[in-house]
Amino acid sequence: MDKTNTDILIKKREALIKQFLCGDEPDFLEKHASVIDEYFFSIFEKSIAAKKMTIAGTPFAIIALGGYGRKEQCIHSDIDLLILFEKSVPPEVEAFVQELLYPLWDARFEVGYAVRNINECLEMAFERFDILTTMLDARFVCGASLIYTSFIEKFRSDLSTRHLKDTLNYLFEHGEKRHFDFGDSTYLIAPDLKSGFGGLRDYHTLLWYAKIKSNIKTRRDLEYYGFLSNFEYLSLEESLNDIWKIRNFLHHITKRKCDTLHFEYQMELAGLLGYRSKNRQPGVEHFLGNLHTRMDFLKQINQITFEDILGTIRIKKGTSEPRPTKTDGLVIKKRRLYFINTVAILQKPDLLLKIFLESGLRKIPLSIEARRIVSEFLHLVDGDIKKNHACIKIFKRILSLSYWEFNVLNVMLATGILEKFIPEFSAIVNKIQYNHYHRFPVDKHSIRCVQIINNFKEPGNSPMETLYHSVFREVRNKNILLFAALLHDIGKSNPAKEHSKTGAKIAKPILKRFGFNSTQIEDAVFLIENHLILVKTATRRDICNEETAVYMANKIGKIRLLRMLYLLTIADSRATGPKAWNEWTQNLLRDLFLKTMGILKKGDLASKKTQRLIDKKKNDVLRLLKNRWREDEINKQLESMSRRYLVYIPAQNIVDHINLYRNLKVKDFIWQISKEKDSDIRTVSICGKNKPGFYSKIAGVFFLNNLDIVASQAYSLGEEHVLDIFKVNPPKDRIFETEKWKKAETDLIHAISNDHFLDNALSKIPRTIQVSSGKIPKPNTIRFDNETSSFFTIVEVFTYDFPGLLFSITNALYRSHTNVDVAMVATKVDQVIDIFYVRSLENDAKIETEQGLKQIKNAILKSLPQIYSKEVNNEKN
Amino acid sequence: MKKIEAILKPFKLDDVKEALSEIGIYGMTVTEVNGYGRQKGHKEIYRGAEYVVDFVPKIKVEIVVSDERADETVETVRNAAKSGKIGDGKIFVSSVEQVIRVRTGETGTDAL
Repeated sequence: MDKTNTDILIKKREALIKQFLCGDEPDFLEKHASVIDEYFFSIFEKSIAAKKMTIAGTPFAIIALGGYGRKEQCIHSDIDLLILFEKSVPPEVEAFVQELLYPLWDARFEVGYAVRNINECLEMAFERFDILTTMLDARFVCGASLIYTSFIEKFRSDLSTRHLKDTLNYLFEHGEKRHFDFGDSTYLIAPDLKSGFGGLRDYHTLLWYAKIKSNIKTRRDLEYYGFLSNFEYLSLEESLNDIWKIRNFLHHITKRKCDTLHFEYQMELAGLLGYRSKNRQPGVEHFLGNLHTRMDFLKQINQITFEDILGTIRIKKGTSEPRPTKTDGLVIKKRRLYFINTVAILQKPDLLLKIFLESGLRKIPLSIEARRIVSEFLHLVDGDIKKNHACIKIFKRILSLSYWEFNVLNVMLATGILEKFIPEFSAIVNKIQYNHYHRFPVDKHSIRCVQIINNFKEPGNSPMETLYHSVFREVRNKNILLFAALLHDIGKSNPAKEHSKTGAKIAKPILKRFGFNSTQIEDAVFLIENHLILVKTATRRDICNEETAVYMANKIGKIRLLRMLYLLTIADSRATGPKAWNEWTQNLLRDLFLKTMGILKKGDLASKKTQRLIDKKKNDVLRLLKNRWREDEINKQLESMSRRYLVYIPAQNIVDHINLYRNLKVKDFIWQISKEKDSDIRTVSICGKNKPGFYSKIAGVFFLNNLDIVASQAYSLGEEHVLDIFKVNPPKDRIFETEKWKKAETDLIHAISNDHFLDNALSKIPRTIQVSSGKIPKPNTIRFDNETSSFFTIVEVFTYDFPGLLFSITNALYRSHTNVDVAMVATKVDQVIDIFYVRSLENDAKIETEQGLKQIKNAILKSLPQIYSKEVNNEKN
Repeated sequence: MKKIEAILKPFKLDDVKEALSEIGIYGMTVTEVNGYGRQKGHKEIYRGAEYVVDFVPKIKVEIVVSDERADETVETVRNAAKSGKIGDGKIFVSSVEQVIRVRTGETGTDAL
């Protein structure tokens, strides 16, 4: 007999679900609950155990609780049941439960039940609020209705007389906790349709609150009792229907009670719900966009509820009301902003903006009523207002008042006034990007960006936050940065095109409307167009290579732009989601920022002037080499050359060096000796493989062959090669000069293959030198500079000239495990300042430990001869 | 089967992916990691404040291939990731006892 009842239930339910899936059952939830009710009726009617209990004077009621009680039964929702007795609970109930529920369990329904008497129920309800809320939804199904009514009466009277405050407090605090635990559900990759912010629970909470406060019976009463306006009630119905429909389909495809809209189901659901791709935007993005709109509305419902609860009970005694507002036409009541009346708005439409300014400044939210009024008076925001200077100023101020904790911009977006001011914004409202990466619709993301930037005003607790704060303080026109943040993704309205470029175009007229001058517009447009460049470079280029920073510095050009771009990049990444922002990216970005800043501050490698110089040189080189090489080949070659090199070397020499490099092939090095036009000096250009100590060995070989080095420069050429240029005095024996050079070349070959080949030469370096001046000689001095460059430790050596000087210093550097990347050596009379850009051979980075620097210093000092002057020496004698 | 784990410079990832797909290897797991070996951290100075980078950001790529393909894969990763400088990274190769594809239950090289 039981089996038949279950069969009927299953059959009816299946038919109902089938109809729903075809889209022919608008009242599915209610009918679904009724089908289940019918099952309980029929069992109850036929049950002998039930009759026995009634006859024995222990009648009972079957009561539906929770969602089933509200008749909001989704496909795989639980069935919550209460079997309620007046006083004692007879043992026969066990047999009845078996009759009633076992067949359901066998048929795999999720049924939860409790058997209690009235007092137990009341006790539990007021002990545990989660039970209390299910009781609020209690609905009589069958049995002794008197027991149900007497329970409900007691429950209501206890609730209103003894537990009202606690219960409302619970609703409030639980709501806050829920949002903390589940997060802003609409913005999760997998939103929770029930428990998250914007989930069904937000509606339940309002319903419970209204039931507690005004004892309303149904959802419809929310409007009748004034909890919602007519417009809001209709929107609620619409939102609930959509979300329930999605939830039902989700239950259907997952075959279980699943309320989390997991990423992998989203496509399928969009298809099932009939979303098709439109204007090149896939159906799933329309689907999620619509869901966001719906959940956004439930979020507003949540705010309405909480505000109401706060208004009823939460204002603690003793906390003073905030001081009244000075803005005419506005008033503060119960910590909420109101318009005095709507006539005031008609007279002064700028109040529609001023209320947001007041709200941002005072951190007092708009009342729900004020929000409603703003939405309904939007038509007053016309061209005049938008062009009005005072209004534009207000808007700009509001932008800088949007913080993480208190965000006026979101309210402006929700009321529609933001779109009224910037109509271009509409195209990105609730625009979804369907992937794992982007968590937020474009509009919310943009507003988050603004928030995050405003939050840099706070000093912050971590070193990184301190850095952001100090960079932020250095940004002079913060409005430019904030507008760039608000508009940086505006180009995403067009899915086909590259959004940074499109965005820059769309933003330009907006910025003009807001009265920015041409330089400011240029800055903002640059930021929008390049808002991805830092993050792309940081993750896709070698940031340990100076060239990367130089390239970046050159692209950005101005320190103020770099600062703003850095902050925009951080805000953009943070506002995107955890995939885009983590410690890893944060470190890479910061490194690139600081390194680029270093280059920009020094200026010589990244100024406009430098760029022009380099461009000119590149053209000259192209022209000079045109007949011998293909243009793309030359360009490739030029790309691999450091900017430092391109700045300092004349075009004709670059051409020589390119040819030299071409002829290097598999050799360790190749050199070219040329005579200077009007002097006797020889220039030796050496191209070779970048092997540690190469530079020092060349210096050694020259010393060994009595070739006096006058000046020298060292450059790297791409990753694996170097270009060293030496200016030397020719050998004294001019007749055999060619042979001399030949010998030096052979020596260098030996020196490269044998690390100790030059040891002998080392011993020929003088141990003392006598300076010609009569003054007391300055001692040999070594200075380190670790601040100027992010890439090299700069070693400056002050000494007096002596034969083998360069060899002696560079050999000491080499033996201290460093590599000379850049050298600038010049002699003035006999006082020498040699500058070397070195990196440690061990970790290819600057030398930063005290110990490491000390070691290098001692090694160089040891390699230098003692200095004395004759006169001083004599005095001593 | 062998598991090849490579710790690389972040900007080399695209090169490595491309090189691997050229030899027909498409599946890999990529993780953003921090670490340091011989290439130690460094510090930067901004407005007098020091910012110490203890760990160097790296990318970890994990690939499992059949024994025959291991050498070729390692060579490919190495060539693609090489810049000749310190910090180019390391490649670890270890044996994998079993691989099971969750969906079908296939095992061994069939599941790769």
